[in-house]
Amino acid sequence: MVKTATPATGGSELKLIPGNELPTRIDAWWWLVGAVALIIILLMVFKPDPYRNIVFFVRDGLLTTLLLTVISFVFILIVGIIGGLGRIAKNPAIHFVATMYVEIFRGIPLLVQLIWWYFAAPMVIRSFGNLIDFPPLANYQSNAFVLAVVGLVICYGAYVSEIFRAGIESIPRGQIEAARSQGMTYLQAMRYVILPQALRVVMPPVGNEFIMLIKDTSLVSAVAMADLTRRGREYMSAHFNPIETWTMVALLYLVMTLFFTRLISWLEKRRNLEK
Amino acid sequence: MAEAIIKIENVHKYFGQVHALDDVSLEIYKGEVVVILGPSGSGKSTLLRCINHLEVYNTGKITVDGIILKSAQNINLVRQEVGMVFQQFNLFPHLTVLDNVTLAQRVVRKRKPEEAEAIALNLLTKVGIEEKSQAYPLQLSGGQQQRVAIARALAMNPKIMLFDEPTSALDPEMIKEVLDVMLALAKEGMTMVVVSHEMGFARAAASRVIFMDEGRIVEQGQPDQLFDAPKEERTKIFLSKVLQI
Ligand SMILES: Nc1ncnc2c1ncn2[C@@H]1O[C@H](COP(=O)(O)OP(=O)(O)O)[C@@H](O)[C@H]1O
Ligand SMILES: [Mg+2]
Repeated sequence: MVKTATPATGGSELKLIPGNELPTRIDAWWWLVGAVALIIILLMVFKPDPYRNIVFFVRDGLLTTLLLTVISFVFILIVGIIGGLGRIAKNPAIHFVATMYVEIFRGIPLLVQLIWWYFAAPMVIRSFGNLIDFPPLANYQSNAFVLAVVGLVICYGAYVSEIFRAGIESIPRGQIEAARSQGMTYLQAMRYVILPQALRVVMPPVGNEFIMLIKDTSLVSAVAMADLTRRGREYMSAHFNPIETWTMVALLYLVMTLFFTRLISWLEKRRNLEK
Repeated sequence: MAEAIIKIENVHKYFGQVHALDDVSLEIYKGEVVVILGPSGSGKSTLLRCINHLEVYNTGKITVDGIILKSAQNINLVRQEVGMVFQQFNLFPHLTVLDNVTLAQRVVRKRKPEEAEAIALNLLTKVGIEEKSQAYPLQLSGGQQQRVAIARALAMNPKIMLFDEPTSALDPEMIKEVLDVMLALAKEGMTMVVVSHEMGFARAAASRVIFMDEGRIVEQGQPDQLFDAPKEERTKIFLSKVLQI
């Protein structure tokens, strides 16, 4: 009663200003990462059979998932920048190629693409090698990791190209005009003026793609990659305990995505403070 | 007089159906300050932007400092000689004031960082804003930003400076600080083409005033003559509207 009657003080009014409250609210979500990590640890400590066994069994798969995500993402960014520049290019040939690329690879399910790269691409490469009588290609030995990276990069590169295109187009025309009016070439203007600004704009959606990528790497379990999902399936078929296995696998994915979501919003916040 | 530093011959420019420049011919000599005025949409910006090829004209010929503006290789050469100041300043928001002024010096003129910085600080002092060299553009007032933009253009040692309504986006109290910088530049003998409706500046600095309407040069003359005794009816109507405000 007394509390409700108390008029709002200056302090509580200040909290209503969004800019004052937002940072603490964003930071507060770190507890969720900690909570999920804690559940995993508690399960491992208090019920080592099966949870600790599961984690130990799948840990190389966990590493493969992380490695696949990070390595693919580096190339996805490169393809995304090139694809985005291609989509806004005035040169009709470059524009056409970039647009075809984006439209084709956005329109095919990632799982189908991964399967194609793993099962079909090596055969195509070998018959092409035979055709031109070039032994290195004719005797091409497929590498599951490389083909998985290729599949993820080409598919996600198409999505990220569109994000970069939108990001570049969001920079006012006056910026490139100011750069070009000082004698910079198109590429110099892009490199020093447009892209640094566009990168800030695209950080949230590109960060989102990174989170999606962590989850979508689970599809490579369909093409002989021993990632987290596949190792989970192997453990389950050996021990017949689907509930415990898939709960633990799900928690491991969750802790990764939550952690990187926090990391990305922390990076964004730091960038906003810089301004 | 000597050969014109900017020579515009029978230039036409279309945007689709819009005839933005209709047979414009104009010669500008070294050290001249030419002020262009005219109603909105009369082609003033387009004419300015054709001079440094931000806009590609359809027919006619523009020669800048002896270089014919046609082939792509020439364009960057010409642009290095022609500074441009925009209505919206167009400073690079992700770079400090100092980096704004050194960037093109480094990547286009290939100057060493120390050399570029020395030139930049010198110019920032000249436009009275050296204490803000580490600030970011959005931390500055409009008048300060426009003075930085002038310093940025001057850093390339241009032979010609183009100004497209440099004070139109400014609050009234900031107009003078920018015009003062431009006036000082004019006194130093810089060749300037200025789109502006600032009569005071035109009377003080302009060697010639040009009135444009519907993509054509309607009338030109010395400032006092054009402002006080315009010959063309359209000029009179326009001036009476501008002077009323
Ligand atoms: N990029 C453009 N696309 C289409 N029309 C344009 C473009 N730029 C200018 N115009 C048109 O050309 C005419 C002249 O414009 P402009 O040179 O900007 O006039 P001013 O600077 O005198 O106001 C106007 O009718 C304008 O609408
Ligand atoms: Mg204009």
